[in-house]
Amino acid sequence: MFKPISLKGLALGLAWGLALALSQVGHAQGEPVVPGWVSDARLGEVFYKRGAYNFDVYNVDPLARDLNGVAVGHSMAYEDLVTGKAAQLETKTYDRIVRVLKSPPKLMPAERFISPTFGRKYGYLEKLFDWTHILHAQTIDVLASADLTPEQKDKELEALWKFYKSSAPYTVTGLPLNMEFLDSQPYSGAFRRKYPKVNGLFWGYHWLQGAVYDMLWKSRSKGDMTWQYELVGKQYRESELYKTDRDFMPMFAETSPAFARRFPQMANAFDNLHMLHDMVNDILATNGMTEAQREAEIKRAIAMVVDDSHKGEDAGDQREGNAFHDHRSMEGQPGMGMMKMASPQLMFMPGMGWMSMNECGHCSMPMVLDPKAGYGATVSAEGWTMEVRCMLCARDMAAQVSGQALVRGNTEDPNRPLLLKSDDEGNWTANLKDVVFLEVEGPHATCSEWSRAFTSRAAFDAYVKAQQAENEEDESLKNAKPLTLKEWSARQGKEPDTYEKKQGPVPNPYKTDKKAEPAKPEVPKGAQATAKPAPKSCCSGDKK
Amino acid sequence: MSFKTFRQNVVGFGLTLLLAVGMLGATATPAQAHETACPYCKLPVVQDTKELDNEVVLRYGNKRIEYRCLLCAIGEAKSKYKKDVTILAPSDVKGKPVVIKRVDGEWTTEDKDALFIYAKGSHTECQTRYRAVRDKAGFDAFVKANPQTLKDAKALTLKEMVELSK
Repeated sequence: MFKPISLKGLALGLAWGLALALSQVGHAQGEPVVPGWVSDARLGEVFYKRGAYNFDVYNVDPLARDLNGVAVGHSMAYEDLVTGKAAQLETKTYDRIVRVLKSPPKLMPAERFISPTFGRKYGYLEKLFDWTHILHAQTIDVLASADLTPEQKDKELEALWKFYKSSAPYTVTGLPLNMEFLDSQPYSGAFRRKYPKVNGLFWGYHWLQGAVYDMLWKSRSKGDMTWQYELVGKQYRESELYKTDRDFMPMFAETSPAFARRFPQMANAFDNLHMLHDMVNDILATNGMTEAQREAEIKRAIAMVVDDSHKGEDAGDQREGNAFHDHRSMEGQPGMGMMKMASPQLMFMPGMGWMSMNECGHCSMPMVLDPKAGYGATVSAEGWTMEVRCMLCARDMAAQVSGQALVRGNTEDPNRPLLLKSDDEGNWTANLKDVVFLEVEGPHATCSEWSRAFTSRAAFDAYVKAQQAENEEDESLKNAKPLTLKEWSARQGKEPDTYEKKQGPVPNPYKTDKKAEPAKPEVPKGAQATAKPAPKSCCSGDKK
Repeated sequence: MSFKTFRQNVVGFGLTLLLAVGMLGATATPAQAHETACPYCKLPVVQDTKELDNEVVLRYGNKRIEYRCLLCAIGEAKSKYKKDVTILAPSDVKGKPVVIKRVDGEWTTEDKDALFIYAKGSHTECQTRYRAVRDKAGFDAFVKANPQTLKDAKALTLKEMVELSK
């Protein structure tokens, strides 16, 4: 039925038209180009690449179910948004989604069955989502396989990427895209402002979808995966889903930095996919757009993240004054595009502050990020994951936060990573039953030499012997004794002498409202001038 | 000097130089390890200075977690940590925290002369308002050094301080 447009509706539509047209000022004329195939009404189904590992995600059944729940949750919200139920998104829709997340389905339903209206309306978008979701699902299946060796997994992951690029008619680019640019459209932020709880669920999904990659990639058995997922899944279900105070969507490399470094194109593609989700959410949540404008903006958002718009471009490319074609990444982390106010050397990680992705999160020393180097680790706690240079850094960083933690450390054998899980008192358990540690604390500039994990006593002895042979004058390791897990757990290093707190251009680029900045802490005035001088303490540098 | 040591020195110098000049648009504050937000009140933990300790440390098993003030640490201990805890409460004397323990639910300190400053007010000044001191002389001196903030300060026992912490 024809519905006459009100004056208000006309005014809003014109205003949006102007805003959206103005948003294109500054780009080259006509960019981004919406390819013709976007209007192709054909279904274009693409199924999984053939592989015995398909659906091996069920080796970790709770993970499989949680991911099934993600698919349902997304679809329910989209369907309600396009069927006139937006007003209840934060209430009835949210409650319905949470019920599903608490009892997720055994099998993953196709999203189009749960959001048929959305699928019919935005079929071209659903196709792109579906094909890229298949890449997500199959890569997780490969990683969850109990039959493939690590080398076979890596090879198959590369094959899956090629399959995605060759079989899907249009694909999300694996180039790092400038996230600040993508998230600064006229409609950006609308969804998270209007529907913070549902947005929180979506960003919780993104957290899970990123976090499981390092977890699986570093596992060497079903037991490793299940054991880690006890904590990762708990963090997801009890905390990450319900956070409504995130500054930005979780980025893949923030939760799985090791995998992102090894497979940067995939990491970037997943971030770009998740950002496309956010952009579509914002478009759907924006009042005042006509249906035609909405559709045009969704197509434009698609065009921004697909390969067609970035043909001939490479990672690292940058065009002066054109953030749309900014493909720089963080130094040391090719699997992450530029964040808000970031430079390749420095980015703001929500919840953690400004940091370099090239440096240890505990001692600020540069890291060698090759698992074959035999040292280095990641620490996961409270939902964040940081990379550290040595095992002391890993342990002490985890000790400084409450709750359980996971450490994934390199040993002398790249095929046998050390996985550690702590309880909430900081007592560690390990996947390697014979693990021993070297820790002869010295200056942190060389911590990777005196703080390491080994798969066995023999490996420890071989390392110490090799170090001494290389430098006969250095006796620091001469009397080094291997530490058991229990002995190592109870130790505490000094505060690193190399740590540097990074300062960015602003305290928090996502909170540039001065009122939102926390008050500067008052430093109390001591009374040293009048108090008796304290007797010299033997341990004044180690009070903690 | 061995080649290895020489190499370490060169690398160390190079890295230091790199760190010093390589951070475009950024600066760094050295050696104030792990500035962090208080897990209880979410305000920044005030860092130790050369003259005065400010970081409150709660030990729980192998955990060593920093809090902004003693009230926060005790509050978190009461609400979150069910087993024994030790709190190192910075005092008026650098390097001499007041050590507080909760064992089987009972709070004690071996620092028999220790008192606890309590001056109710804005939490942005909590590091000054809720603080351990080693003795009465320390209390008087600290209050004198912070006359505005602590003009109504009380000197509490440990038991009183624990009761007031939420």
